[in-house]
Parts: sequence; C-alpha cells; structure tokens
Amino acid sequence: MQLAVNIVVLSAIYALIACGYVLIYRVSRVLNLAHGELMMLGAYLLLATAASFAGNPVAAIAAAVVLSLAVGILVYVFLMRKMTGEMVLAAVLTTVALGTLLRGLMVLIWSAQQQYPGQALGFANPAIALPGGGRISTFAAILVVTTALVYGGLFVFLRFGRWGVRMRAAGQNPLLAAQRGINLHAVYALAWGLSTLTGSMAGMLIALDSGLTSSMTVIGLKAFPAALVGGLDSLVGALVGALIIGAAEVLSIQYIDPLLSDVVPFLVLIAMLIVRPWGLFGTREELDRV
Amino acid sequence: MSEPALLTVEKLEVVYHRAITAVQGISLSVRKGQIVAILGTNGAGKSTTLRAISGFLGIDDARVTDGSVTFNGKRIENRQPNEITRLGIALVPERDKVFPNLTVIENLTAPFAPAHYNRRDNEVLAYQFFPRLAELRSRTAGLLSGGERQMLALASALVCRPELLLVDELSLGLAPVVVQDLMARLVQIRHELGTTIVVVEQSAAAALNVADYGYVLENGRVVLDGEGARLRAHGDIQEFYLGQTSSSDRRSYRSVKQYRRSRRWYG
Ligand SMILES: Nc1ncnc2c1ncn2[C@@H]1O[C@H](COP(=O)(O)OP(=O)(O)OP(=O)(O)O)[C@@H](O)[C@H]1O
Ligand SMILES: [Mg+2]
Repeated sequence: MQLAVNIVVLSAIYALIACGYVLIYRVSRVLNLAHGELMMLGAYLLLATAASFAGNPVAAIAAAVVLSLAVGILVYVFLMRKMTGEMVLAAVLTTVALGTLLRGLMVLIWSAQQQYPGQALGFANPAIALPGGGRISTFAAILVVTTALVYGGLFVFLRFGRWGVRMRAAGQNPLLAAQRGINLHAVYALAWGLSTLTGSMAGMLIALDSGLTSSMTVIGLKAFPAALVGGLDSLVGALVGALIIGAAEVLSIQYIDPLLSDVVPFLVLIAMLIVRPWGLFGTREELDRV
Repeated sequence: MSEPALLTVEKLEVVYHRAITAVQGISLSVRKGQIVAILGTNGAGKSTTLRAISGFLGIDDARVTDGSVTFNGKRIENRQPNEITRLGIALVPERDKVFPNLTVIENLTAPFAPAHYNRRDNEVLAYQFFPRLAELRSRTAGLLSGGERQMLALASALVCRPELLLVDELSLGLAPVVVQDLMARLVQIRHELGTTIVVVEQSAAAALNVADYGYVLENGRVVLDGEGARLRAHGDIQEFYLGQTSSSDRRSYRSVKQYRRSRRWYG
C-alpha cells in the first residue's frame, strides 16, 4: 500500500512538471530545457514572498504563483520571442543557456543550502493515515490533488477554451493561425506562462513538502523522460509517461537498489526511444528524422 | 462604377529566398463588392500574389521587394498576417487550409472574430452558406473530403468577418459540379454579406462565369485584363483556358501565346 502511495506521489510530481514541457513543445516545437530551473525559481520565489509577507501565508503563495506566471511570460517576451521563426535548435540551445544562467543566479542569491519555505510560512506537514495502511504527508497529498486539478483544467481549457483551441491551432499550422487573425506571440507567451506556472507550482509544493536545495533541477530533468515517453505533444501521454517513470523508479528503489533512482527514468526513456521513438501517444510524423 | 478601389496592388514584386522573382511588377485593383478572377497557368505567380496581399509569405522566406499593396487607404505590404486579417482580409490558401487535428467546430472557434461575435454567431454564419458543415460539426477536419474541407476553409475565413476574401484555387481537385456549387456560394456570400472576393483559378471557365473582372498572369506579369464577359469572349482565353480550340491541330499553349504576342508586338 505504501508502495502504491509512493508511486502515485512521485508520478504526480513528474506529471505536474511534465505538462510544462508538453505545453511549450506542442505550440512551438521547442524543448524547454530550462524548465527544471524555472520550476526551482518558482520554489525560491515562494521563499522570497514568504519573507516579505511574513505571517500571511496565503498572500505569500498567491504572490509567488502570480510571479511565476509573470516569469514565464517575461522569458518568452524578452528571450524566446526573438527566436520565433529561427531554427528550433537555436531556440532549444537558448533555453539551455537560460537554464545555466538561472541556476548560477539562484545559487548566488539564495545559496546552495537546504531551505524550508514551509517553516518560513509557518506550515506543519503532518502525515495523513490513509485507509489501507499507507501514509502520505499533507503537502504530498496537496500535490496529488493539484496535479489532478491542473490536468483537468488544462484538458477543459484546450478543448473548450477559445485560447486553448487557438493554442492547438497554432501548434498545427502557425502560418494559417496567424492568417486567421491569431496573435502567435500571445499564444506562445500564454504557453510559456502556463508552463512556468505549473512547473513552479510543482517546485513550490516539493519545497513545502521536503525542503529546497539547488539539486531540485534534477527532479525537473527526470520529469523530462516522462514527457518524452508519453510523446511530448500529448497531455494524456505525459500523464501516462509520468506514471510509468514514477512506478519504475519507486519499484527499482524498493526491489533493486536506491542508487538507481536517478538512472531509471533515463533507462526507461532509452528503452522507449528504441521501441517507439514517437512516444506512446505522440504523433508519428511529428518527428524530425535524424 | 465609380466606387473607389478597396484594394490596390501597384508594381508588386515578390522574391523567394532572395533569388527567385516570382512576381515582377503586377498591378491590379479591386473595387468594393466586385468578384475578381486571377487566371494563369502553373507557376504564373497567382498564389504568390495572393499570399503577398495577405501577409502569408513569411514561412517560405519570401519578401515583397518592390511596389505597394493598399487596402482601404492603408499600406499593408510586409505586415504581419494577423494584423492584415484584423484589417479585413482573409485568405483561403491553396494547401493546408484547415487545422487537420481540430474538429469542424474548433476550426470555426479558433479564428479571430471581432469581439461582439460569439461562437454561436460564428456557427450560424458558417451554416448559413454551408449547411453541410452542421452535420459534420464534430468531425475531425483532417478526415473531411476535399469539397467539405474547402467549405470549412471558406467558412473559417468568413468567421474573421473579412471585407475582402481571397480564395486560392477553389477548384483544386474538386469535381466540376462541386466547383459550380462553391462558385455559387461565393456569389451568395457577396450578395448577403457584401464581401468583396478575389478568386485565383487555373480553370478559367468556372471563375469567369461569376467574375466581374479578370486578370491573366504569366511569368509573374499581367498579360491581359478586362471585364469578365469580355475575357470570356477573348480569343486567347477561349483557346487556352476554355479549351475551345478553333483549329484542328492542337498547338501548345506557349507557341500560340508567343504567336499572339508577337503579332501584338509587330502590329
Ligand atoms: N516556396 C517557394 N520557394 C521558391 N520558389 C517558389 C516558392 N513558391 C513558389 N515559387 C515559385 O514562384 C513562382 C510562382 O509560383 P506561384 O505558386 O505563385 O504560382 P501559381 O500561379 O500559384 O501556380 P499554380 O497554379 O501551380 O498554383 C513559381 O515559379 C514557383 O516555382
Ligand atoms: Mg497557386
């Protein structure tokens, strides 16, 4: 039972991070390799707002969420916007540079020490006993619920929201979308904003649950196989991919060796790439062949 | 007939990849409420002209290098396509004219429409001219037949509430009766919405039946223009586009054209 709980929690973490990769890839075919760093920035933003809104945790969280949305939009407007129309590879390399820069900045500002935004906000994190014998910490439970809500929200938005449909349209044929009066920059900025927002929410919740160090980017990196296994352009795929990666990791820690935990996601990814390079739910022709 | 021009193209020149000049100094003018046909064989520069007007050139690394496009008194050459659409020009391109993974309804939802129109209005507008689309509402656009896809493309362009509708190769790959029906829809659209329409066609017959005015392009230049009825009666057009060859030996398009032209040249 505890094993199942662990799998669900880890999968939820990966899923919440992975949808950010998918959102940006889907509209612009760009892999955002700074996603892990942006997620960590979200967590540090919470640390910062916790200090400035001392005694008012709700305001601190709200401010951090709004700030992270703004960060995503600003990254697009000031950095990625210039890359529109350039080669995808150039854009991907830009995100690598951005990630490195952010990581350096965050260590400079907040140091590499373990920090606890939960304590700063005055939250306790008691474990909840689940029927069936498992236990889950409060923030892990909140994280699972948040992931479910985010995915539910994204599904509804992309299917029924006007801008959601526009995001999908722009992903399929940007030129025709522009010709239909859709402002591509607005669509891309929205994708970056939502992606950074959801990633930051993951970062904040992980930090609230188990503290914050500069090694959080590793989690972001491990969520990347989850997105890829699912096929990168599919939200359902990201969800299933996260479940596969999460399960593989938890089970190998339990039954083989805890040291495997950082390797397993990538082993699964490699196995996947050999068998089905377009991912479980991806579209076959989306691939640029090597 | 003294309506001011809605669209004026002057000495337009378009270059692909900084090397290939596809359009070399085309001038044309479209008055409000007209249906204008642009004719010409493959590679004449028809699509390039339409795409230059609607700002659709970007992705092919093409540029307007000379001349001007004026719409409603505003210069629009080299503007962004979404800006041009919001000014009132919508294009139905030759290929990739719908979003294949979106449903019919979603294809009608995605386009930008002026704020006071809601989704229901967009659907009503689409079904007003293409009732068939109502039956296909939740079908994925990529699965539609060529004719249905063309209807959807026209409908989704109409959602932008354009003053000027540009249609590239309405007849491409469609059965003649479908083409006739679609041409009739264009006339209906013009009649009921007052939309000005420019159609590009290889096959002149269908287009000239509904067009008030026509231009014939060749090698990126206008070689002939005139009122629809006059063009229909014109010898060259009859021979090459309507297939009513007068002589029994079927001469190639080019040789006859060359002959006519030299005759024009030498008087
Ligand atoms: N993307 C492109 N890159 C380079 N050259 C192009 C491109 N598109 C068109 N051309 C060239 O520009 C010229 C005009 O092409 P255009 O597509 O405008 O012709 P068209 O009159 O629409 O022909 P068709 O009836 O076959 O559609 C052609 O010589 C064509 O080879
Ligand atoms: Mg063409």
